[in-house]
Amino acid sequence: MNAEQLAARRRQNRAGWAMALPACLLIFAFLITPFFMAFGLSLTNQRLISPNPAEFVGLRNFERLLGVGLLTLDPLRDENGEVRLKGGEPEYPRIRSFTRGNPDYPRLNRMREWFRIDLPGDRQLVVLAKDLVFIKALKNTVLFVAVVAPVQSGLALILALLINRPLRGINVFRTIYFAPVVISMVVVAMLWRFIYDGQNGILNSLLGIFSFGAIEPISWLGNTSTALPAIMAMSVWQGVGFHMVIWLSGLQTIPQPLYEVARIEGATGWQTFRYVTWPGLRNTAILVMVIITMQAFTLYPQVQVMTRGGPLDSTQSLVFQAVVRGYEKQDIAGGSAISVLLFLFVLAISLFQRYLTRDRD
Amino acid sequence: MGQVLLKSVRKSFGSAEVIPDLSLAIPDGSFTVLVGPSGCGKSTILRMIAGLEDVSSGTIKINDRDVTYREPSQRGIAMVFQSYALYPHMTVAENIGFGMILAKRPKAEINKRVGEAAAILRLEHLLDRKPKQLSGGQRQRVAIGRAITRDPQVFLFDEPLSNLDASLRGQMRVELAELHSKIGATMIYVTHDQVEAMTMADQIVVLNNGRIEQQGMPMELYIAPKTRFVAGFIGAPSMNFFEGSIASQHDCDALGVRPEHIGLRDDDGDLTGRIRHAEQLGSDTIIYVHHDDYGQITVRAEGNRVLDIGSTVHLTLPAEHLHRFRNGFRIQD
Amino acid sequence: MPAQRLAKLSLDYLLLAWIALVFVFPVVFMVMSSFKSDLQLLRDSASLRAFLPVGDLSFDNYAKAFQRAPIGLFILNSVFITAVTVCVSLLLASLAAFSFVFLQWVGRSVLMAAVLATFIVPFETIAVPLLLIVNNLPWIGLDGFKTSWLNSYQVQIVPFIADALTIFLFVQYFKDLPKELVEAARIDGATWFQVYRRVVMPLSGPVLATAAILKFLMMYNNQLLWPIMVVQEESYRPVMLGLQYFFQLNTAWGEIMAYLTIITVPVLAFYLVLQKAFIASIASTGIKG
Ligand SMILES: Nc1ncnc2c1ncn2[C@@H]1O[C@H](COP(=O)(O)OP(=O)(O)OP(=O)(O)O)[C@@H](O)[C@H]1O
Ligand SMILES: [Mg+2]
Repeated sequence: MNAEQLAARRRQNRAGWAMALPACLLIFAFLITPFFMAFGLSLTNQRLISPNPAEFVGLRNFERLLGVGLLTLDPLRDENGEVRLKGGEPEYPRIRSFTRGNPDYPRLNRMREWFRIDLPGDRQLVVLAKDLVFIKALKNTVLFVAVVAPVQSGLALILALLINRPLRGINVFRTIYFAPVVISMVVVAMLWRFIYDGQNGILNSLLGIFSFGAIEPISWLGNTSTALPAIMAMSVWQGVGFHMVIWLSGLQTIPQPLYEVARIEGATGWQTFRYVTWPGLRNTAILVMVIITMQAFTLYPQVQVMTRGGPLDSTQSLVFQAVVRGYEKQDIAGGSAISVLLFLFVLAISLFQRYLTRDRD
Repeated sequence: MGQVLLKSVRKSFGSAEVIPDLSLAIPDGSFTVLVGPSGCGKSTILRMIAGLEDVSSGTIKINDRDVTYREPSQRGIAMVFQSYALYPHMTVAENIGFGMILAKRPKAEINKRVGEAAAILRLEHLLDRKPKQLSGGQRQRVAIGRAITRDPQVFLFDEPLSNLDASLRGQMRVELAELHSKIGATMIYVTHDQVEAMTMADQIVVLNNGRIEQQGMPMELYIAPKTRFVAGFIGAPSMNFFEGSIASQHDCDALGVRPEHIGLRDDDGDLTGRIRHAEQLGSDTIIYVHHDDYGQITVRAEGNRVLDIGSTVHLTLPAEHLHRFRNGFRIQD
Repeated sequence: MPAQRLAKLSLDYLLLAWIALVFVFPVVFMVMSSFKSDLQLLRDSASLRAFLPVGDLSFDNYAKAFQRAPIGLFILNSVFITAVTVCVSLLLASLAAFSFVFLQWVGRSVLMAAVLATFIVPFETIAVPLLLIVNNLPWIGLDGFKTSWLNSYQVQIVPFIADALTIFLFVQYFKDLPKELVEAARIDGATWFQVYRRVVMPLSGPVLATAAILKFLMMYNNQLLWPIMVVQEESYRPVMLGLQYFFQLNTAWGEIMAYLTIITVPVLAFYLVLQKAFIASIASTGIKG
């Protein structure tokens, strides 16, 4: 290797680094560094403002978050061995007696009841969690993903199919369907808070008008059973246009002659979709599902603006809890632990996407 | 002054060795054509000369100057790409003058040189157009114009005519030949096209798998191909090869005869076959004859020859046009 | 037959129109309500009047909203933050992508992989550690030296300039540009920066529009969590934080609607004018499949 060659290499190295460095430095400083900090912090007991230095605590934060316990309860019996009834139902010992410093059940100490399952013979299985709020946030987030991802992508596909036709003025509809995407989720959430309102909410009045008074007003966000579905519906409303457009671009890559062949062979509309359209959308489908899933996992502004996790933790989400703990309660370590778990979920999903796209070629 | 020398040049992409060890001398002022099958490394060689691709080892000299690690713009070369590579957002004039604009030459000089190039290539009336508004042939001329204004010692062409239709190609071939004689710079020209290679070159380099099979004047390659590969590659339709008994009769393992040298007889000849197919091209007729031992034999006959498919013909192999090969190499008489 | 087709066509349009109503009704409601008094707003919401410009319409809510919060300031802040971020982001991301795609240098592929991998890190998961970082960063600005970035513009700009998606969009686009253009420019004697500025950038209109629109939406619309964490001083707040003002003391729905209208309608108008580009930009993020 002679001097001239070295100089040529160096010139290109220098130019390459110089152009890439500003963006890379920023990403390193403001994305990669805090990312690894989150991992590190999740292994300590760091607080935002604390007189004591942080200590390494290993996986304790994760144990606290994920700790669950099982407890089988026998019904209380009277002196004759008969099951004691209370309002027609068997009566059970209080959970507190197991979870508050009961030396026989050290593992269950300070846990709280999550739900219970009836077993044969009047026995009950109680599932307890160390950190019930987190567990609920986890459950809600998973539920949110599990519902929103298929519903939103399915509706988006239907919209895309409706829009992907040579009708006059179809652009107007496309523009309208897409419009909520450009509105901030914060604004959308505010607006829907009003729409969902129990007393003056426009949704209740619309339902009342169209059902001729058959549907009673509901406080959509004030009800544990409707709050999360309400947030889901709104999220779908806001995001469906985005995915409609992605489907649309996928639809437009399917060669027109395939449709013509299908028509010549006399395929019905459904058959055409099943054998021509859908196979051509395979990659788009994976993409749409991955994007939606990743977006849905980071459920935050809706909760922050509409419910702050309530009522009764029925709308807690992982990101909301990460923010509440890490920032509002200043428990950086706990918040970081949630962040790490969230990241692991997202990572798993994107690896899964890699896997799905790989088996093709 | 525009002599190009490649000495022991090697090139690998990762673990794939594309050019094993290549030495090549291209004389000043020559029109050298590189031919070879697809993927044999023609473009790679051209791009290494241009400096667009690093060599893995070896040296490249242009005009006695070692340019192996020089920037492309410092080598005294100009290149014309197959895709033309015109800057779509610039006018024809800007495209042609871009190098001088970058070098901050005075406006008057740029205009003058652009005008000269445009005059040579008859582009004067198109100077304000964008590439999109030009026909394929015009684009090609702009690309050549851009090369001319660089005033290079060596022009590099990578299949410059392959995107043009047949008649335009013929016309551009003539123009390029004229350009060469007018400017006198060295030209290195990569092509797939037999006709381009035979008509334009004063030197042809036949490449195979990154190695030089033979280098020489077009007729030299046609008359006395050094290897079986060159024999099969140069000339269209390709040379017929006979192996087996007829080859051993001539003391070789492959006997080559060009289709245009095979004689057609009704009565009696060296070989007898059945006509399977005939392509009448007007000026001549390509006849595909099936022989029971040697398979298909291609014969070129005059254009007005009338033949019946399925009929039996007799072929003669004139002694003065036989090429004898052993182990792929020509046996010198 | 034509009658049948006409009927089917009308049905199609009817369906499309009904769906369109679902997407526009909240926005219509927002705009209409912003002109109504609280009393009328609540009364109207019991009927379809909520979507109609009926009753006493006035700009009172807007006037009161402007009194309640320094809206002008918030809008200026948001516009400033968004504009600076978008511009610098396009510049740095395109430079980095150019280097990744067209130059050969030591460490290139490793660095590119690392940068693009950050795409799957949700911002929310790094917000708190990022807060720790910016809290301890020094800054020299027009108003002198500071030891922390809290309460500033830069804290809302600098961390968001570089992101994997923007770089990715440019990388994809550059990869599809004909390599020969760059090579021709190199032969013509252009430096790498000249190739970037005079050849590649002039051809990058579509990707610039895409990246600008996506970045704009990300910046203008998502200014919630981070500003809550890092901006306590009023003078640096973006529009989304302004909402807090309308929930203090008494919640005035009319004013909220006015505020939402103020911060949303410009974006919607912008969208309507450029809807082709907006939609194309989203569609192009789908290339990565
Ligand atoms: N950048 C690259 N990376 C890896 N391999 C490459 C690269 N460029 C070329 N090759 C390989 O090098 C070999 C020679 O390529 P080259 O383009 O020189 O062929 P060619 O003779 O010009 O072919 P054609 O006639 O089809 O243009 C091919 O096998 C090709 O696959
Ligand atoms: Mg080639």
